[in-house]
Amino acid sequence: MFEKLVNIICNYVEVEPENVHPDSRFMEDLGFTSFDFMSMLGELEDELDVEIDEHEAANIRTVQEAADYLEKLKAEE
Amino acid sequence: MLCSTIRQILVNTEKEYGPEDAVRYKIGKNKIEARSYTQLRRDSESFSRVLEALGEQGGHVGIIGATSYTWLTAYFGTVDCGSVAVPLDASLPAKELCELIDRADISALVLDDIRRDVGELARGTCPKLKHLISMQKEETDEEALSFRQLLKEHEGPCDFEPEPDKLCTILFTSGTTGKSKGVMLTQRNLAENATCLDMKIPPRTVILSVLPIHHAYCLSMDILKGVSLGAVICINDSLLRVAKNIKLFQPNMILMVPLMIETMAKKLEEVSGLPDSLVKWQVFGKQFHTICSGGAYLPPSMIDLFNRYGITILQGYGMTECSPVISNMVSWNIRKESVGQLLPNCEAKTVDEELWVRGSSVMMGYYKMPEETAQTLEDGWLKTGDLGYADEEGFVYLTGRKKNLIITKNGENVSPEELENKIGENRLVQEILVREHEGVIEAEIFPDYDYAKKKRIKDIRAALQDIIDAYNQEAPAYKKVYSLKVRETEFEKNTSRKIKRY
Repeated sequence: MFEKLVNIICNYVEVEPENVHPDSRFMEDLGFTSFDFMSMLGELEDELDVEIDEHEAANIRTVQEAADYLEKLKAEE
Repeated sequence: MLCSTIRQILVNTEKEYGPEDAVRYKIGKNKIEARSYTQLRRDSESFSRVLEALGEQGGHVGIIGATSYTWLTAYFGTVDCGSVAVPLDASLPAKELCELIDRADISALVLDDIRRDVGELARGTCPKLKHLISMQKEETDEEALSFRQLLKEHEGPCDFEPEPDKLCTILFTSGTTGKSKGVMLTQRNLAENATCLDMKIPPRTVILSVLPIHHAYCLSMDILKGVSLGAVICINDSLLRVAKNIKLFQPNMILMVPLMIETMAKKLEEVSGLPDSLVKWQVFGKQFHTICSGGAYLPPSMIDLFNRYGITILQGYGMTECSPVISNMVSWNIRKESVGQLLPNCEAKTVDEELWVRGSSVMMGYYKMPEETAQTLEDGWLKTGDLGYADEEGFVYLTGRKKNLIITKNGENVSPEELENKIGENRLVQEILVREHEGVIEAEIFPDYDYAKKKRIKDIRAALQDIIDAYNQEAPAYKKVYSLKVRETEFEKNTSRKIKRY
């Protein structure tokens, strides 16, 4: 999941894959805007065939937290 | 056609396009349901009768929820019978919403079940609130009245004709002192703002509404203007799914804030190996042609970039206090450096570099705030707080801001003082300044080093970050602080010992 996230992150912000770490924060460290972040999750929703809750997603700050959240949704499917 | 009441807008369009779709929305993942203009008018009139039956005609009706057909019915039904609609931001904490419910003298509240917590808190803290109406409940119970059941029980026509110069909507906007202000708008303010400019948008244009409905820009341009044009208004169910919903609803036009436009630009540029015209087909669909931009500053380079793909960006400028549009670009007369031409119902002048505007869309004032009203309105002129001017042809150019407000890229106005007061409550924070930096809200803090020593706090930055994190946990997305700067020295002060902001 982490690798999948890194690939998609690099489509939204100008960052090299090796500079994306599990504890990188989307807004503060990677330069995401809130709408970039929402759009990226929307894309992942399709790709992983899961349903993301907008309010739960608003609490995600780091790449690892996003990976854990998506893994959890996938497991619940 | 120029309309002076919101009812006139709906009635005119219903006469012309009655059985055609007015609103389309998703049910389930990919299924679309629609309501016609006749249904919208009929259901709105039924809601007017509900208010009459509850003894609330003329009262203040709060509406909390995301855009939905029920939300729209509640809004039209309220304002069309001479009552006052108060749309509130569904993302605010319950305590803040209850303070607004109380301050706006709301006696009936139409509430999305997702914010049931607000209803629970309001029952104990808002003594003026008499009726709680649930948008989703099938039947009335002890907790709340059912919107659907009420509509059924009071189904029927309502021919009330509201007066153009009566208050019809209160919209809250961030105040410079940290306390939000209720902007009072009349029927004429909103109706003429939506209908005075012919933008040559064809009837039955398909609009995808993606912005929050409690914002004046969305309410006026997507909804009131949309209805006046006989447009099909499609409701985006989540900001996560804008791209997906574009494919599903196939809109011709979307109203956006610069933050969204910049993300969509990345999506266009991501598509490789296709000619420019086909790139648009892939991201927005063949039928798409226009983006209206407002709410915040848009870099002019975006206009060129979208133009390359065959998409016109029409920039507008306004503020809630002007219902909200002051100037708007039209497709046949684009000037990239300007924020558009003054609407026909608006005149402008520059006083001490500040842009002042006057016309039929300027608000009545701030609800129960005579001092703030007197500071903002002078002889019918609205002081915009923006530095700028209008040229001889009415094109408006902005050069800076006078007011101390952060305008985020998604068009939200954030009062730095509000955040400073909240974060500054912690003893470790001796002085704090909140501002916008590189597109995000930044807090610069001078910590109380003596206090840190006493409490044996070694990693002061981490402790400050914890304070910010705790604040962010409660704050709506647009008020979150994403950057922290720690100072070693006090801030420079002016003669009245206030921190110098710039």
